[in-house]
Amino acid sequence: MRALRAGRLLFAKDLRVLGRSRGLLAVLIGYPIVIAILLAIALSGGDRRPSIAFVNLDTGAARTVQVGEERLSVDDYATRLEDDVDLVRLGPAQADEALADGRVSAVLTVPQGFIADLQSGLKPPVLKLATNPRSPIEAQAIERNLESAVFRLNQALATAYVTQVLNLVDLIQNGGTVGIFGRSGTLLGLEESGRNLAAVEKALRADGKPALAKKVAALRDYVGGVGGNLELAKPAAQAIASPIRLEVREGPPGREPLSALGIAGALVVGIGLVGVLLAAALLSAEREDHVLSRLGRGLAGPGTIIWQKALLAAVACTVVGYVLLGVVALTTSITIGRWLLWLPALLLAGLASGAFGLLIGALARETRTALLAGLMLALPLAVIALIPGNDIAYWASAFAGFGPAARIFQGLLVDPDVTSSTYVGMGILAVVALVYGVAARVALGRRMHA
Amino acid sequence: MGGPLLQARGLTRRYGALEALAPLDIRIARGERIALTGPNGAGKTTLLTILAGVQAPSGGALEWDGGAAQPVGWVPQRPALYPRLTTRENLRLFAGLEGADDPAAAAEALIVRADLGEFADRRAGALSTGTTQRLNLAIALAGAPSLLLLDEPTGTLSPDQRVRLWGWMDDLVRADDMALVFSTQSMEEASRNADRVLVLGRGRLLHDGPAAALDEAGFMALLGDDA
Repeated sequence: MRALRAGRLLFAKDLRVLGRSRGLLAVLIGYPIVIAILLAIALSGGDRRPSIAFVNLDTGAARTVQVGEERLSVDDYATRLEDDVDLVRLGPAQADEALADGRVSAVLTVPQGFIADLQSGLKPPVLKLATNPRSPIEAQAIERNLESAVFRLNQALATAYVTQVLNLVDLIQNGGTVGIFGRSGTLLGLEESGRNLAAVEKALRADGKPALAKKVAALRDYVGGVGGNLELAKPAAQAIASPIRLEVREGPPGREPLSALGIAGALVVGIGLVGVLLAAALLSAEREDHVLSRLGRGLAGPGTIIWQKALLAAVACTVVGYVLLGVVALTTSITIGRWLLWLPALLLAGLASGAFGLLIGALARETRTALLAGLMLALPLAVIALIPGNDIAYWASAFAGFGPAARIFQGLLVDPDVTSSTYVGMGILAVVALVYGVAARVALGRRMHA
Repeated sequence: MGGPLLQARGLTRRYGALEALAPLDIRIARGERIALTGPNGAGKTTLLTILAGVQAPSGGALEWDGGAAQPVGWVPQRPALYPRLTTRENLRLFAGLEGADDPAAAAEALIVRADLGEFADRRAGALSTGTTQRLNLAIALAGAPSLLLLDEPTGTLSPDQRVRLWGWMDDLVRADDMALVFSTQSMEEASRNADRVLVLGRGRLLHDGPAAALDEAGFMALLGDDA
C-alpha cells in the first residue's frame, strides 16, 4: 500500500517536472514524433523507379517484325519497358561503367538477332539483364519489375500471334490472302473447296461416273470435317493466348502495404524513442538530483521507482501512438480500425521500450549520457525492425521489443483478421518489459544502496 | 540530554577487500549532538549512511531504544531535492512519501519551521546555497525524526549561513529532544556545535569523548600520519 502511494506520488511529480521542462519535453517527445512523421512519409512515398541502362546490340538490317497488323521493333520493347523503369540508352562499355559506378542499377541488353529470333518463331528471343551484386535488394526489385514487364509484353505478343493464327484458321476455312512470319499467299478455303467438290461430285454423277463421284464425296466429307474441327480449335487458341488473366482493381489510395509499413514504422520509431528516451531521462534525473539515497531509505524502493516510471513511459507512448494514428486517420484516406485493440498493443510496446530505457537510465551516470546511449541504441534497433521478412533483423530488434511491435502494428493495420501471432507478439513484448524491468531494478538497487 | 536512543554494536562495512569500517561500537542519547570528524576516507559518510539506512552494514547491529526502529532524518552532503519543483512542492512530496496523513499541512508546518515562507513558491533550483541547504534539512524533518544525520552540512555555506544553520539546529534539538549526528572536517566546528566528538581514522574509532576535552593539537596527535 505504501509502495503504491509512493509510486503515485512520484508519477505525479514526474508529470509536473516534465510539464515544466519544455526543452526536455521537446527532445523526449517532439523529436521522436518528427522523426516518426518523416519516416512515415519516406516509407509511404511512391515507388522509386530504378534507373536501368538499355543497350541495343540488334542493329542489323531486320529492325522490325510484322505480327498480324502490328509491326514491332526493339524501340517498341524499350518504350513499353519505360512504363516500369527509367531507361538510359547507352553503349555496352558505357553501360558496364555506369553499373560499376552505381549510376544505374542494372543493364538491360538486347542481343544481336533478337528481332530475327522473334520473327522466326523457332526459338524464343532473349533479353539479358545484369544487376549490381552489391545491391541485392534493389537487384531483386528490378528483376521483379522486368519480369513483370516482359510478362506483359509476352502476353501482348501472344495475343497478336493467336489473333493471327485465328485469322489463318479463318482463311483456311473461308479463303483469302494471308501474311504471317514474313510470308504471304492466297488460300482457296475449306468452304469454297467443299462447294467445288460438291459441284465436281454432281458433275461426275451426271456423267455416269458414280464410283469416281463416291471418292469425291468422301473427300468433300473430309474437307467438311476439317472445317468443323478448325471451328472447335478457335476457343482453344483463345485460351492459349491468355490462359489466366489477372484483373487488377485499384483499392483506396494509401491502403497498399507500403503505406502500412510506413505507418507501422512511424509508430515503432516514435514509440520506441519516446519510451526509451523518456524512461532513461526520468531515471537518470533522479540520480542527478541526488535523491536516490533519500528515496532508498524506505520512502520508495527501486521496484516502486521502476514500475512507476515504466508505467509513465507506457502511458506517454500510448498517447503518442494514438495521436499518430489519429493524425493518419484524419489527414489521409487510410482507414484505421480496431481502436480498442491498439490499446494493449501500444501500452505493451511502450512498456517494453520504457523498461529498456530504464535499464539504460539505471546504468548511466548522468542524464546526457543516458539520452545519448538511449538514442544510439534505440534508433538503429527501431530501423532494423522495419526490414520486412528478415528473421535476423526481427530478433535483433526484438531485444528492445521493436521487432514484435512492428509486426503487431502492421498486422493491426492490414491483416483482415487478428491472428494468434498478434497475441504472441504482445506476449513477447510483455516478456521483454519484464526482463528489462527486473534488470533495471537490480541495477538501480545497487546504485541506491552503494 | 535524555535517555538512550540507539546503540550500534560491532558495525563493519567492507567493499571487497577494503575495510571501510572496522568493528565499531557507539551509543547515541536523545538530545545529544555528536560530531564525526576525521580525514577524507576515514569512514564518516559510510557510518552516517549505515545509520540512515541508505546502506546495510557488512556486520554488527543497530539496537534502538524500545526495540523498534525510530524515524531517522537524512541530510546528504549534496542537496537531495527536485530543482524543478518549488519549495512547497518538494516538502509536500517528501511529507507524502514519509506517510504524512495530510502532506499539504505537514509541508506548511515545515515551511514555517525552516523559515522558508518567502521562498515557498520559488523553484528549488533557483534558491541560494544557504536556502537550498535549509530546504534540504527541512525535507529531512518531514518524517518527524528522533535522529537527524547530516553529512558535512556546512561545507558549501558562507560563515553567516553557518551561524544561522547551527542556531536553527540547536533550536531543533532542544524543542524535539532530537539526537543530532553530523560529520565535519573542521575540529573547530565540531567542538563548537557538538556535545561529543567521535574521531575516525581509516574506519576505526580513534576517540569518543566530550567536545571540550579535545583540542586541535590533541586531534592532530590522534590522527598521526593520517593527518
